[in-house]
Amino acid sequence: MTVTPIHPVPSNAESHDAAPAFNRSRQAREAEIALDRITDDFDGNPAAMQYFYDLFRRVYIQGEPLPHEGKLIGTTCIQAPDELIYAVGATPVRLCNGSYHYDQIGADFMPAKSCSLVKATLGMLQTENPVPRICKPDLIVNPTTCDQKKKASVMMEGMGHTVYDLEMPNAKESEEARLYWRRSVRAFAHKLREVTGKKLTRKALKEAMARTARAQAAFRTLHNFRKASPAVVLGKDVFLVTNAFFFDDLDRWTAAVEALNAELTQRQAEGFQAAQRKAPRILFTGSPPVFPNLKLPVLIEEAGGIVVADETCSANRMLYDMTAVDEWLLHDMVDGLADKYLKPCTCPIFTRNDDRRRRLLELAAAFQVDGVVYQSFAGCQVYEMEQKSVAETLNAEGIPMLYIETDYSPDDMGQLSTRIEAFLESIKTRKRKSA
Amino acid sequence: MSHRDYFVGIDVGSTAIKVALVDAQGQLAGVHVTESGSLFHKNAREALKALLEKFGVTREQVKYLIATGYGRKLFKEADDSISEITANAIGAHEAGKAFGGVRTIINIGGQDSKAIQIDDQGGVTNFAMNDKCAAGTGRFLDVAARNLEIDLEELGDYHFNGKGAPLTINATCTVFAESEIIGLLASGHGKEEVVAGIHYSIAKRTVRLAKRVGIEDRVYFDGGPALNKGLVAAIEDELQRPLVVPEHPQTTTAFGAAMLARSEYLAEREAA
Repeated sequence: MTVTPIHPVPSNAESHDAAPAFNRSRQAREAEIALDRITDDFDGNPAAMQYFYDLFRRVYIQGEPLPHEGKLIGTTCIQAPDELIYAVGATPVRLCNGSYHYDQIGADFMPAKSCSLVKATLGMLQTENPVPRICKPDLIVNPTTCDQKKKASVMMEGMGHTVYDLEMPNAKESEEARLYWRRSVRAFAHKLREVTGKKLTRKALKEAMARTARAQAAFRTLHNFRKASPAVVLGKDVFLVTNAFFFDDLDRWTAAVEALNAELTQRQAEGFQAAQRKAPRILFTGSPPVFPNLKLPVLIEEAGGIVVADETCSANRMLYDMTAVDEWLLHDMVDGLADKYLKPCTCPIFTRNDDRRRRLLELAAAFQVDGVVYQSFAGCQVYEMEQKSVAETLNAEGIPMLYIETDYSPDDMGQLSTRIEAFLESIKTRKRKSA
Repeated sequence: MSHRDYFVGIDVGSTAIKVALVDAQGQLAGVHVTESGSLFHKNAREALKALLEKFGVTREQVKYLIATGYGRKLFKEADDSISEITANAIGAHEAGKAFGGVRTIINIGGQDSKAIQIDDQGGVTNFAMNDKCAAGTGRFLDVAARNLEIDLEELGDYHFNGKGAPLTINATCTVFAESEIIGLLASGHGKEEVVAGIHYSIAKRTVRLAKRVGIEDRVYFDGGPALNKGLVAAIEDELQRPLVVPEHPQTTTAFGAAMLARSEYLAEREAA
């Protein structure tokens, strides 16, 4: 296959130099294996997915530099408002990394039992020429979420990065939390002005919000296609699409998703089936699948299940909720934006998780879900702790849940596939009996 | 169905390959167990051949074959494959009927341990597996027996011959437990007390796993280590209930796969 670069060649030749082979080989191989599985193990991949397959091949395997306009602002969490970054002419890139190779490098910074995602992100930032080619963002915004991410700020600074702590409240229900967060978001806007030299204007913010809203609308359409039974699109592809949102050009991403949606509309009209009619429909929740670590969703679909919906911060939680603005004045817009990032957030770092449980039940009902798979990265205490209450809520509604504690290493694949297959088999038996 | 029809379940496990033969009436006709070795596929084929020869059954008489266990996907000769959790549930449900029915299964295998809760028809309602680690599995017993320089089969006898209380093995990791065992022996403790300590350490882990899925009577215990009477006693003690241990605990999962092969065959014929 010949690959023509889709990214414009950056003017500064320095960042275009190929990364040294010794540095990239393991990471690239890991990415290649994951991508080959996603593309080759399945029949009938949508033609419009080729854009995303190629994108990952270029960025993760061939190390093509990421395009960006203005300053590059790295974010370590979906709580950092992208709209503010776009509005000051900068480009956000989400740094959360899914590579086992970087997880091992990052292990030097964290206690043994720590979250793979945090370790991999640190490992990538520590590497001289990482892939994706995010060499040195002009600023890293680190929302103060879980303990591991909080403590990562100092470590990232130690690696020579400029880090800004975006302060988050521990609760989200109270008025105090809301006010605290609004002030944090405003302070962040000031910080961005300092870094970029550009003032936040009403016009620029409105434009940035419109661009993001268009991307979100495209995502929602894609999301709603997954309600179809039999399914028209597989979860592994949707995870790849949302993962691309981390680093792809915003408008080009939106156009590619719209193209995919158009193809799915046609597929649906033609009665296309992406999976068997009786394939167990799975809702995925918990620690986020981030490429190349899509092992759990891929294992589910290789075993004959289908991931029809998710409640994770690498997909649904990142893109679903829209901003509501009362008055299109700068202050109100920023407040509306702040509310969008705090109120609907179902991250387990908050004191309560009523919203998360409610959302899971809503998704389960709307997407005709047969069972829930709950992934928790070993060492991610907040997800580990919420597991029990989520299981109880789901079980009370007769929805079975499989809890899986895992990390980025590939060595538990055999065991995980056994567990997943057994879970899918038990769902099928249950459905046969109730039929 | 002809009375000369047979059904086979083959459980390609990490340590042993277990093959079970079921006849047209759904009765267990025979079992065969061999070591897995490194050539999974070749050894599985030979195990099947050995079983059929042993009971004078031809390959053509075998109407349906289901593979299970870690190597299930590699055994392409099978008509179908199924996870060992589902196969274990079916096998224990069928074998447990003779004991008045079972609802909880504890399985200790070569490299993992599981607890499975089943309904009154043998359907899996909940299950849990140990994390990726050999602690509390058959491998742990292998390592311990080697350290103690005794045969695996002797562990049960040592368990009951202790004069003192069972020692406490704290390490949950097989590798660390190994050095802990060596340390205990070096400080002059008897092998018997160490063996009992090992059994209680596995029993504690296993019972914790079973509590996660919920324990309901009767509790069925299978897998190779269920042959070890000392371990059975330790688990019963930790569980505070009796265990149902079948005659061939190693082959319950293969038997379940064979029973499923039979019902799949019947269902397919009915549909045809």
